[in-house]
This record gives sequence, C-alpha cells and structure tokens, in this order.
Amino acid sequence: MIEAAKKNDGLSGAFLSLAAVIVALFFVFPIYWAFSQSLRNPLDTFTVAGLGIPWLHFTPTLSNWTDQLGTPETSQALINSTFISVSAAVLALVLGTSAAYAIARFRFERWKNRDITVWFLSQRVLPPVATVVPFYLTMRALGLLDTYLALILINATFVLPFVVVILRQTFLDLPVELEEAALIDGANHWGAFWRVALPLAAPSMAATGLIIFAFTWNEFLFAVTIGSDKAITVPVHIAGAIDTRGVQFWFMGVRAMTAIIPPVIIALIAQRYIVRGLTLGAVKG
Amino acid sequence: MRWTGNIRFLFLFPAVVWVLAFTVFPLGYSLYLAFFKIEQKIEVKREKVPIVDEQGKVILDDQGQARTKNVVIKQETNVATFIGAENFKRLISDPQVKEAVLVTLLFVSFAVPLELIFGFLLAILFNQHIFGRPLLRSIMILPIFATPLAVGYTFFTIFYEVGGPLAWTGIPFLSNPSGALFSVILVDIWQWTPFCFLVFLAALQSVPDELYEAAHVDGASRLAMLTQVMLPLLKPTILIVLLLRLAEALKFFDIPFSMTGGGPGVATQPFSLLAFRTGLRFFDLGYASAMAYALLAATMVVIMLFFRRLRESYD
Repeated sequence: MIEAAKKNDGLSGAFLSLAAVIVALFFVFPIYWAFSQSLRNPLDTFTVAGLGIPWLHFTPTLSNWTDQLGTPETSQALINSTFISVSAAVLALVLGTSAAYAIARFRFERWKNRDITVWFLSQRVLPPVATVVPFYLTMRALGLLDTYLALILINATFVLPFVVVILRQTFLDLPVELEEAALIDGANHWGAFWRVALPLAAPSMAATGLIIFAFTWNEFLFAVTIGSDKAITVPVHIAGAIDTRGVQFWFMGVRAMTAIIPPVIIALIAQRYIVRGLTLGAVKG
Repeated sequence: MRWTGNIRFLFLFPAVVWVLAFTVFPLGYSLYLAFFKIEQKIEVKREKVPIVDEQGKVILDDQGQARTKNVVIKQETNVATFIGAENFKRLISDPQVKEAVLVTLLFVSFAVPLELIFGFLLAILFNQHIFGRPLLRSIMILPIFATPLAVGYTFFTIFYEVGGPLAWTGIPFLSNPSGALFSVILVDIWQWTPFCFLVFLAALQSVPDELYEAAHVDGASRLAMLTQVMLPLLKPTILIVLLLRLAEALKFFDIPFSMTGGGPGVATQPFSLLAFRTGLRFFDLGYASAMAYALLAATMVVIMLFFRRLRESYD
C-alpha cells in the first residue's frame, strides 16, 4: 500500500483502533480472569457479577497469594521448574550451538546439510506421546523416576531442534569473512568458532535460551509422567490442585498466575525473535 | 563456500548422538514393545528379618536367637509375552480408539483452519500503521506462551456453568459432549490464532512496499490485491504455519487433560490422551506403544506432505 493508503483516513483509522481494542480484550480476558479470581475471597467466587473487576465488584484480598506462596509445595515446584528449565536450556544450547555451526559453515557431502537440518527439525514435529512410554520404562529401570536429571534430559531433547534451526540461521547471517580472517591468522576452526562466531551469535543464543526456557517451563506430559513428588514442576503442581473437595477456584487463580507469569515475561523480553523461533527459522520476523 | 575437514564431525556429533539416544532409541524400544503384551504383576512376600539396634547389631532374644520381625516385600515384575501384531489388530477394532480418532479429526479439522483464517484476517487488518499496534503485538504473545495447563484450568473456571462469567449464555460449555468439544476447539483457537497472526504479520511486513504500490497504480481492487498479490506471496508461509499447526494439533493433550479430563464421557478425549492413559494409568504398555506408533504414522504422513517444501526453506 502506498503511504496515503497506509495512513488511513480518520474514520477507518478509528474503526481499526476499535477493532484492535476488541481483539486485545478477547485475548487478554482469560488471563485477566485468572488474576481476578486469585484476588477473591472464596465467597466471592460465584457471587461476583459481570466482569469481576476488583473494588468495583468485590473487595480484593491478597490472602490467597500469601496462603499459596507460603506453602512448601508451591516454592518447591517453583524452584524445581526454574532449575529444570535453566539446566535443559543450557544443555540444549551447548549441544545445539555447535551442531548449528557445523551445519552453517561446513559441507557434509554424504548427508547434505539441509537434510541434517530437517532431521533435527522432524524431532520437534514428532508426537511426544510416542516416546513417553519407553522413556518412562528406561528411567524406571535406571532408577531415575521423580528426579531432576530425567526431566532435564528429556526437555533438553525436545528443545534441541529449536537451538539447531534458529542458530543455524544466525550463523548464516554472520559474515563468514571474519572467521576466515581468523583462520588465516593461524586460528583453527575451534578458535574461529569460540572467539569470533560465538560472541557475535550471543544475543541470538540468549533469546533462544529464553524461548526454550519457557517451553520447558510449560511442558506437562513428561513432567506428570516422571515427576510426582520431589521433581514436581509448576504445571504438575497446578494439576494437583484438584482434590476431593473440587477445584478451589481462588487458589487455582494464584497457581495459574504463578505458572503463566514467568514464561510470558520471558517471551516479551525475547519478542524480536519469537516469529523466527516459533516457525523454526522458516519465517524471518 | 563451505569448509570441509574432519573437525566438522566433532561440532555436529554431540547433538546427533544425543537425539539418537533420547529420541531414536525410545522410538525403537516402543516399536519393540508394541509387539508384546505386558502385564504388571505385583508379588507380595512376607519375610522374617532380624531386628537390629542403632549400632547395627542383631538383637538376641532369651534363647540367644536373633529376634525377627515380619517385613512385607512388594515386587513389581513385568511379564512380556510376544503376541505379534495383535496390538495393532486390536487398535482397528477398539471402539475407544475409534472415538478418540474421531475427536482428534474433528478437533484438527475445525481448529487448525479457523486459526489460520482468523490469524490471516487479523494480520491483513492490522498490517497498517495504527495507534498501539506494538502493544497489540505484545498482547498477542501472551496466549502463545501462557502455560497450557494453567490455560485449561482457567477456561474451566470461565466455562463453569453455575456462576461462571459465561453462565448467562446458557450454553452447556462443559456438560454436553458437543458443547465440550466446541469449548476445547475454542480454547485452542484462543491460544494459537495469535501465533498465526504474528507469523503472517511478519511475512506481510517483509513484502516490499513497491509491490503494493505497483498493484495500486495498476488499479487493482482491494480484493484483487488480496488474492493476486498477498496470497501468492504468503503461500510458503501459510504452508509452514499449516504444517506446524497440524503437527501440534495432533499432539493436543494439555487442554483436554485439564479442562475437561477428556469428558464428558470420552467426548473430548483425543488420541494422545487415550494413549497416555492406556500406557501410564492402566499400564497396558504394549497396547499404548502400538497406539503411539499409529499416531506417529499419522504425523509422518503430514510431514511427508510438506517435506519437499520444508527442505527447500533450509537451503
């Protein structure tokens, strides 16, 4: 569209802004609702009319938050999720970055570089339910059920394709001349990678690390299969909030918010890389 | 202009070995399991064990014999019997499988196209400089990264039919089989339309302005602009998004697990949830592995359909 068409006349501009507000409200509402629930007294849960706006429809209280965050189970789940997500992200970055560099800079005649890329990528497309039973049995045989290690291993595997595919593109976008200059100056390939390419790829690595941290944080199928007690993660902890007395909506609100806030904030920080990350590098955002 | 030299294998192999160990090995293992009937037997034995004191010395009774106590020992053993293709045959005739496949197909064929269409329309609508667009883009990131399990439970409270915020509509969001399937699809649309929107918007913005300009000068109408300029340009992107959404939708698990528990009855139990329950709740491990392979085969078909296109984008 030419500039004149792009700027819009007043009326359609107002219409578009209104549409944007409606769309935004639709996509924010559920998260807002969880937050609103977390501020209510149990009594207000089902009696509040309308949109449940604090102060207008009910008197908000922080007691659900203090109750829930004060329990050892909640802090345990938060610590576990953080530790497992960080470890899996670091592990996947270490393994994936060097593989991405290999694909971006070297020629693999027999397998073809793009087929290696697609091979890594296809791991991401596989249904995890296909590996959950054998993984469970293997971990049980090794005595690793309900351990951090088992969850770190499997999550690093799930996010590895992201690292390979995204960083491959990052390295391709870097000027190869810098590394060649280093090679001419007597560095070996390892030195060129470690001292020249890696520092330049650092921002992209950091963003990728954040995105895969969020993926691991949100993972549920393997978390509920492997970790039940000592290695309980935040989503598994939420699932445990349903007991014989039914769902306690006010506590559920708190737990939902504690689960949602970290990955969402991280995604906002890494915003610039999200489109590339989520399409596995196929679309540059 | 690519290098060779054997160091390239050192760069590549750790990740390859890793994937072989944690993806290919489990897949092979589960193919093996799919040909067995695995029964879990729990043997309970009682044994007399000598009682020891704090120093680890055996406590003796009056006769100088070691005092003993009874200990219950639980032994879990898996008994695997080779049954050939029996598990796969069972898949075909199992009514539960039939229903789960139907739920999955209904879910995929409604949710995925609607997400793409809504995402595309929103991207076109907001591909202009309007006030607050950066904020809108940030907001659209929220559903994508919100923990799916938390989303499921939150929507459970939203769809709650007594006193929930949508109770006034009178729609049986959770108690009626079709209503629950509709709700599950709606949640998926809520969560993944933003993804389609963001990707399409990024693709639209990478189209140079001159193209629109040229079409405009040629007197193309808005509709012609859409069908003859934008759609062809976005075709590769649309295919990638479609592939990713199809593959993800076949894995669909967290939302039915948390929001409906697969119910009422099995009305919202997708194939992955059935496979999970069969394997890890009822411990029918061989049958669950056969199910997993059926799902894997379906996913492979999807991948194959797009494989050529996918390869081209990684040249």
